[in-house]
Amino acid sequence: MTMGLVYDEEYLKHEHTPTHPERRERLQYTMDQLEEEGVLASDAVVPIEPLEATDDQIARVHTREYIERLRSMSASGTGMLSVDTHVSEHTWATARLAAGGVIAGLEAVVDGQTDTAFVMARPGGHHAFRGDGHGFCYLNNTAVGIRHVQETTDVERVLVWDWDAHHGDGTQSIFFDDPSVMVMSTHQDGRTLFPGTGDVEDVGTGEGEGYNVNVPVPPKTTDSGYERVVEAVFEPIATQYDPDVLFIEAGQDNHFTDPITDLGVTAQGYAHLMDVAVTAADRLTDGQIVASLAGGYGIEGGLPYTNLAVIASLLGYDTAAIREPSIYTPPSYEPDVNDVIERVRRVHGEYWDL
Amino acid sequence: MILGIDTGGTNVDAVLLDNRGIRGTAKVPNRETRASIRSVLEILRDGTDEFAVDRVVVATTLIVNAAVQRRLPACTNILIPGPGLAPERAFFGEENHVATGAVDHRGRVTEEVAYGAQPSHDVRAVTAKFSHRNPDLERAVRDDIAGDAEAVALGNESGAGLTFPERAATTVANARSMPVFSAYEQAVEEALADVGVEAPIYYLKGDGSMLGDDAMVTSPAHTIRSGSAASALGLVALTDLEAGVAVDIGGTTTDVARVVDGFPATETDVSEGDLDAAYPAVRATSLPIGGDTRIDWTNDGPRLGDERVGNAVAFGGDHPTLTDALHVLGMFTAGDTDAALAALEESAEDPTTVAERILAEFESRVAQRIDETATTETKTLAVGGVLAPYLAPGLVDRADAVTEHRVPDEAAVAGAVGCGVARVSVDTALRIDSPRGVKTITSVGPERVESVPEGERFTDARAREIALEAAREAAAAAGGQPERPAEILAYDRFSVVERSRVVGQIITARARVTPAIDRSLVGGSR
Repeated sequence: MTMGLVYDEEYLKHEHTPTHPERRERLQYTMDQLEEEGVLASDAVVPIEPLEATDDQIARVHTREYIERLRSMSASGTGMLSVDTHVSEHTWATARLAAGGVIAGLEAVVDGQTDTAFVMARPGGHHAFRGDGHGFCYLNNTAVGIRHVQETTDVERVLVWDWDAHHGDGTQSIFFDDPSVMVMSTHQDGRTLFPGTGDVEDVGTGEGEGYNVNVPVPPKTTDSGYERVVEAVFEPIATQYDPDVLFIEAGQDNHFTDPITDLGVTAQGYAHLMDVAVTAADRLTDGQIVASLAGGYGIEGGLPYTNLAVIASLLGYDTAAIREPSIYTPPSYEPDVNDVIERVRRVHGEYWDL
Repeated sequence: MILGIDTGGTNVDAVLLDNRGIRGTAKVPNRETRASIRSVLEILRDGTDEFAVDRVVVATTLIVNAAVQRRLPACTNILIPGPGLAPERAFFGEENHVATGAVDHRGRVTEEVAYGAQPSHDVRAVTAKFSHRNPDLERAVRDDIAGDAEAVALGNESGAGLTFPERAATTVANARSMPVFSAYEQAVEEALADVGVEAPIYYLKGDGSMLGDDAMVTSPAHTIRSGSAASALGLVALTDLEAGVAVDIGGTTTDVARVVDGFPATETDVSEGDLDAAYPAVRATSLPIGGDTRIDWTNDGPRLGDERVGNAVAFGGDHPTLTDALHVLGMFTAGDTDAALAALEESAEDPTTVAERILAEFESRVAQRIDETATTETKTLAVGGVLAPYLAPGLVDRADAVTEHRVPDEAAVAGAVGCGVARVSVDTALRIDSPRGVKTITSVGPERVESVPEGERFTDARAREIALEAAREAAAAAGGQPERPAEILAYDRFSVVERSRVVGQIITARARVTPAIDRSLVGGSR
């Protein structure tokens, strides 16, 4: 079992403000953990160097106007897309390299160079729309990557499971009318968290109707709540959709130590989520699965362990001993996910056998 | 003056060097460490008008030989893995125990250590994940188990730049090497005292740099490939080889090493026998054939037996060897040629045919390894060992990768010369976590944990200078000269934010005093 690891030190260069939650430290401790565990030195881990996505590759998703706006803003060295999404000197190059990272990860798996791939890039992308961005996102890396393989390879249908704590509003909008990309988002209920969208009723439009699935879970949802959602929603819909490739938008901010979200998932819970995804890929996509790091701001107590968990799962390693240190105490409160599952069944029962 | 001593499987070689060049050489059979070293030093002392030794550098194949013959002791490997991948990945002991306790990536103790088991073996290794950021947990376990142990090696004393599984493997290798090395090190000390030498003692590492004896005692797996490193280093120094292959033909083995940019090339993930350490070592292989390799009479005719059972018949041995074949062919005349001829006549075939076949087998096996070791820039072969002048031309003829050879005058003692021209170089890792006010330095010997002012900020220039200082200090502590040039191997610096405030920086760097060869000692051009 081999896993392509897309990483480049250039990913550390983009900066919002020195104390912004989305900062280079996010990748640093994870790389520390992977290095110390011997994962980076393993023959099963194939380093993949990303290339910056080209204007033409980006323009499959984004408007030319937006591309020029980002380019010139970054060239000027300063600017903002929104109050918390800053543009600096390195933003344009790093964002292109992040989009290129998803292209490289997908190509490696689709071309059969590696069995799976993990894209450890920043900035993230799922809050980027065709002509705008916010929520720490500039280019929709995932969409740029998927459009690239849809255009250049045999891949037709892609299932995106966006498990970031925040609803992937940008990704939803880009594929809202497109049945060739099924976007399934499990996220903390938009009434309690940015960006506020992601309602169950948003099912897609036109030919894409039924191909956008939102599962807004209540705050503090834990491993077992996620497990229930996976069984009741992800597994049956994934099976019926039967994609060519499974893409995981791996937001690690469901972790209970995350400072800007309010969920209760542990490192073991993350290992389980990825185990489920890998099993589904084995069954449906000939094992073709690519994961890309999205959010995750529990820089010390969460990310090193959640990232290790999902990477170890992709590699087929034993994940039983992966947990956060015992100085961090997981929540004991168990919110009820039955309501949201019932709503998804009611709304999507029209399109899928749930 | 510098005294280089190379203790190989067959002989002990010694040379005396100073800035006027090689002042004396000696060679005696290796029978028993203390007596053999004493006798080689007596010959050297009696044969030179001046015998004022300032530094002793020793290379040994003892640990590797013991590992190849599976004679090293079994080890209890105690791991403190904390959260993460399954600890089985680091199970390198004959027995493996997992203790509770955890250090995190910042070097904070996040779970207290507890080890309740009883090790079955007297040789023990203790390795914690992230012990290069905080050695406390390993030290606590050692304090618990050192009492009845023969040897205890700790991960934080096993060197810089290792991952947890590598560090565990290396720590086990060090623990298992400790009893054999300690006995050897004591015999060397006694032999030197016997002849009145009181200079500091160094050992050659497998990467071609040297280490003070105190440091080597805590990490003796560093001697893996030290014999190959010594001969490669000596041949580079004696022949001014810039790029090529160095071949040292001993009595028991023949070492073939790659030379790049005027220094023996190194590689990582080196293992010998059942010893598996993550130290870099020269890219060299030891073929089990040398001048004293016995000739076997097989159904396919005469073959090299890949074993040394004693001297050649020409030198009083009982069994014919490669050296006797050279006598029969008239290529080598020292010793009793008639006895060699008589020994080869014992077979049904013509002695000359036998000798030619044996020589051809030796040449083609070594030539194949030369071709595997060579790079595209390689054209030159440097050859050492007593038989070098006689065998080198044939090796060039047979190998595709080389077109010329160099055999230095002191070919017979190339390994000892290599010891003499070595310098200290220690890979040193520096970590500053200024929000915690902690600086850790990992090199050889116990990891150093020092304090820095909490929250201090450093410029890149200052941080790099601190890393270079650490490398020079580590080299000095290992017995080197701190004024040697140092280099940064890796460097990173970033800010740490806690509760939306920048509270300091984390700096990670690796540096070392640049490995080098003291060519001035052999009258070299550089």
